[in-house]
Amino acid sequence: MTCSFPGYEHVCFELGTLLSMHPPPFIYIQDIESVMTTFSVIGTLLRALSDESYSSISTGGVKICHARVDAIACFNARLFYEAVINSLVQFEPSWEDGCGNWESDVEMKWNENMDAFLHGLRAAHADLCSKNHKGKGKGKERAGGGYEHVRLVIVVERAERLKESLPELLVPLTRLAELARLDLSVIFISQVGWEDIRPPLGASPDPYYIDIQSPSKENIVRGLVANFEAISDAQSSYNPYHPALKPLYAHFIAILCDVCFPFTHSPQELQYIAAARWPGFVKPVLDDHLQTRDKALDEEDVDMEDDSAHTSKGELVPPTEEVRMRLNKLFNASLSTAFEALLPRLTNAADWARANEPPGELLSFPRTFMLEQAKSASKAGDDKEEGIRALPRLSKFILLAAFLASTNPPKSDLRMFGRGLDEKKRKRRVVTKSAGKGGVAKVSQRLLGPTPFALDRLIAILGALLEENDVQPDRSLSKILTIPGEYTDMEITRVSVYSNIMELTAMRLLHRTSPPERLDGPPMFRCAVSYDTALGIAKQLDVALNDLLWDPV
Amino acid sequence: MQDDGAINLDDVSKTAFCIPYNPGEDSDDLAPPKRVLAKSLFQERDLEDGQELRFAAYRKAWKKCLDRVQTIVQELESQSVKQVVHEVRTSYISPLPGLPYPEIPVVSVINPGLGPSFLENITAQLEESSAMNSDGDVESSVIHLYPGDVPNLTTGMRTIISNFLAKGGTPDPVKRKPMAPLASYDIKYLDAWYRAWANAQGKSPNLVIVLHEFEQFDPPVMQDIFHICSGHISRLPIVFLLSMTSPSSNYLNAAYSRFTMSLLRVRNFTTPSGVRILHTILLKTFFDPEFEPDIIIGPATLQYLNDYFTRYHSSVDAILTILQLAHLKHFSSDPLTILVHSTPSVATLSRPNSSLFLQAVSARTKPSREEEDVNMDAQSLSQRAIDQVDKIRTEFYSRHRNLRVGFAVVLRMQTFLRSYYYKGLDWSADLENGNGLCDAMLDALRGSFMRDVKHLGMITKKLKRDELRRLLETLYGFFHELPSNVRSGEQEPRMHLVEMQSRLSADSNSTISVASRFSDWVTEYLGNKLVPLEECTLWDVWYTGQSPFPSELLNPSLRASIIAGLLRPYEFVENLDNHVDANSATKSIWELPDTSILFKRYLDSGKMINVYDWFESFKIVLDTQRSHLKDAANTDNATSPRKRGKGKAKQAQHETIDEEKWAVEVQARFVRAMHELDFLGFIKHTGRKADHLIRTVFEIDDAE
Repeated sequence: MTCSFPGYEHVCFELGTLLSMHPPPFIYIQDIESVMTTFSVIGTLLRALSDESYSSISTGGVKICHARVDAIACFNARLFYEAVINSLVQFEPSWEDGCGNWESDVEMKWNENMDAFLHGLRAAHADLCSKNHKGKGKGKERAGGGYEHVRLVIVVERAERLKESLPELLVPLTRLAELARLDLSVIFISQVGWEDIRPPLGASPDPYYIDIQSPSKENIVRGLVANFEAISDAQSSYNPYHPALKPLYAHFIAILCDVCFPFTHSPQELQYIAAARWPGFVKPVLDDHLQTRDKALDEEDVDMEDDSAHTSKGELVPPTEEVRMRLNKLFNASLSTAFEALLPRLTNAADWARANEPPGELLSFPRTFMLEQAKSASKAGDDKEEGIRALPRLSKFILLAAFLASTNPPKSDLRMFGRGLDEKKRKRRVVTKSAGKGGVAKVSQRLLGPTPFALDRLIAILGALLEENDVQPDRSLSKILTIPGEYTDMEITRVSVYSNIMELTAMRLLHRTSPPERLDGPPMFRCAVSYDTALGIAKQLDVALNDLLWDPV
Repeated sequence: MQDDGAINLDDVSKTAFCIPYNPGEDSDDLAPPKRVLAKSLFQERDLEDGQELRFAAYRKAWKKCLDRVQTIVQELESQSVKQVVHEVRTSYISPLPGLPYPEIPVVSVINPGLGPSFLENITAQLEESSAMNSDGDVESSVIHLYPGDVPNLTTGMRTIISNFLAKGGTPDPVKRKPMAPLASYDIKYLDAWYRAWANAQGKSPNLVIVLHEFEQFDPPVMQDIFHICSGHISRLPIVFLLSMTSPSSNYLNAAYSRFTMSLLRVRNFTTPSGVRILHTILLKTFFDPEFEPDIIIGPATLQYLNDYFTRYHSSVDAILTILQLAHLKHFSSDPLTILVHSTPSVATLSRPNSSLFLQAVSARTKPSREEEDVNMDAQSLSQRAIDQVDKIRTEFYSRHRNLRVGFAVVLRMQTFLRSYYYKGLDWSADLENGNGLCDAMLDALRGSFMRDVKHLGMITKKLKRDELRRLLETLYGFFHELPSNVRSGEQEPRMHLVEMQSRLSADSNSTISVASRFSDWVTEYLGNKLVPLEECTLWDVWYTGQSPFPSELLNPSLRASIIAGLLRPYEFVENLDNHVDANSATKSIWELPDTSILFKRYLDSGKMINVYDWFESFKIVLDTQRSHLKDAANTDNATSPRKRGKGKAKQAQHETIDEEKWAVEVQARFVRAMHELDFLGFIKHTGRKADHLIRTVFEIDDAE
């Protein structure tokens, strides 16, 4: 059996045998960790099975035709039917023909409902059979056997989405073979288990389960190294994917997987990180090679014995063991920074590669050089709150008030912010509750996430914050407002406060939890900035945030 | 409409009546607004058509200012626009090799302050095929999507596809109509169209989807759209351009799953934001030697603008609004502002009803008492005034020019000193985070800048030879690059600078003497230049000075305004009621509208209000009102006093109303007024006590 990724041999063998002999009508493949790889492996397998010459020999005259559909892209039944049938007969709609779907000789619309779809399947089947019979003469001559019949295989990728988008299709699809009365097999591939999407009341038959194990490190390394050949290009010598560099690439991947494998098992992610780091990793070698070649071209009398790593012809050869070790040491630290930035896609591979390109002559630098560079790079990345800094002052206060309202329990407000007429000092919470009371330790609100709060509470906390921490601008207004607190009172009911709140909601720095069409009662909000951001804002406003938190962790 | 729709309100068989809104009835005052300014305070000395003339002058002055600001904004954003356009055009060129799958290029533009013009600029440039650079740029077909276009996946996809089709046009006539065509929301449909379209054109432009206000899009829907597009990325060169206002650059990371993020290649672009915008606009509009604004905004308004910008709303819109309001206010406050651009002709001024205006002008412009000629006729008097005003206008603008040049010199020197790590003045000329740059501008306008100038002079005395030479060069360069009309007035400083330069280069020991000479000269020069504009005659025509900005118009305090409106309605509405003298300071309670009466009684009550007591107190006031109105009607039948709104149609014939009807009317007016208070949020309903309501507003400082 063909297998396009190491580690999948068993699956390929099992599925290939099943499909070419007597497949169960419904197969469910679950892969939790590397579903993208599974898609591609099964796609390759099916292509190989559909390959005429192959199937005619090993499957005893059964022609396998397959269709792959993506449950996200087919978000309604019509799209689903069209995708399955067009893909089965390998039909591609063209603009000149008015973007029509595949049509059989029988004039009917088969994209309207399940019944029509079944007719369409049969028509497609008949069409495929007749096509094969046309080719039969040649096939007989060549392979000595014709096709008794055509077997259809329908693969539904990300099948878990069917439960939300097409729940009514789920049962018929699992019973498609009996409904269509064809030699047909439906394969669902999903990250979710069948028990989570199974329709109720046992309406669907139990599938034939295939569980895919998470790929092992060795297999991923082998798979990624095998990819090198696909991209490698011997044309130009200044090319990170030059065939001569393959041994180095294998080492590189091994180190990369050592660093990153504990955190992700997805070959795609690892390849993504490799794609970002490899050009930088190999750059010193390529630079070195270029230099040597230029020197060689300049000076006629090259000492061939001395130059062990490069031949005089200017061809790239794998670097020596020593160079490799040096590269390892230089780049080892940057691998984890690459991983931290790229796995959550804080930046993209191309930009990361450009930003972390090593300087020339790197091999002569001390070995901690890249480490320092990585550190300084991550420091520069901290400057992300630049945009927050540019917010107007009042918006910052509102965000801070929202953070406090979302984190502190409402009952604590009076104690945190209330103050009597004469005492200027805020009543602080008396003692932090002792955790060792025997009961379940209370989880801090900051770990539980923000709670919703009413607009009124936000405004009230904002008023308290402004009164304590805002400098009253020296304006004509402050001369009129002489009662203590009156200025703040005016300030918090200004139009700008409300418009700023709405603007922050539009920026998604606040979430409105109540529907906008509800008029009764105050609107509810939830804070959407993190503790770190709030801390940063508090620092800019010179507010002691930790004093205002009920549960300073 | 009234006739056929006459409703019998006494019909007992109905529980509710629908009274259709009839705008023609009592909205005479809602006639289309005339294009004139508000009446000025000194209306009596206005010219006959003064309002129209001043409006025209306002429009001219404001247009000049607006154009300038918009040009500055365009300059500010041009850099980012260029970057974004380049990025979009080269999205599919040379991707990083070795990626596991192709990514969708996503360009996210974070634009908190510059407004929608930024994106318009980008799309305009993207669609211009002629402006393409040769380095492999690809043309683009741009469509726009707004949050409302994408309520769900089907509609979203259909909108995207139909927009592209409408934009690009359908290439070939379809040969036949198939029985079952593809769905119009199927991406394969777009695929088929794109292939045919690209073939017909012979090139393959990028398909750019601009998502406006991206934060408002529903993430689950967008997630699926990204997924669907990513499946076809090898055949359809789609580029997403996201327009965001969120200042945190990782909104996408926060709102979208890692799975979606891994399909995208996001590049962030941020436009300039924050105080930098404000400083650039102010400096280049009011303190640029090259630009001469018609109206100079005074320190009071600038101070407010700075406060408002940094405190409430950091956007170009806020700046424009405030500047425009300042212009409007300036032109509507004083009739003399007609003189901003030109002086009215002799004929206009010698008209009899212009005499007050002319008097006002000549009183301000008169050079000295003795010259007054008693037997001067109106014609020559106005001719003299015109000449004077024209002279003063020239003088004023030249003073302002001096101020701008002087400020620019200080700015150059300060920047220079900072770049050589001198402490310099206590403000920074840096646009980005120039602390106190705005204060410096205010000081310059207020004329309290001499301290800074002296300080500068002191520092320059201590400069080293090399530094001094550089400073002289910088200043000479500055004077040299001035526009010719300004430069012609600045011959003398250039000569001085050249002379000092030559002395400095001729004698290596002359540093100290040249430095002290330079310091003296610069102090004196700047002292002459930075003269407050108020010292000019008639300055208030061109300069708003210390007149305060009407901040309550722009940013009122809601609660305070509502309560003030209820307590003193006559200060807010003109012509509320003709029979009441709107100018009298205090009003007795019966003169107020119903809602205000009820509100006053509301303030008198305790925490909870008994509705019946409230009604009774209201009734007493209305009874007083009724008797007063009756008296007034008896004495003066012509101006029949009528209350606005409630039951006024009936009041015209109040003699015939019997007590029963009056009681019903009072009740109706009470209910209506109470509901109005309810809508305004002054009442909280509770079931705790029968017939009682809870007050929501306490401790109002009611002066009366």
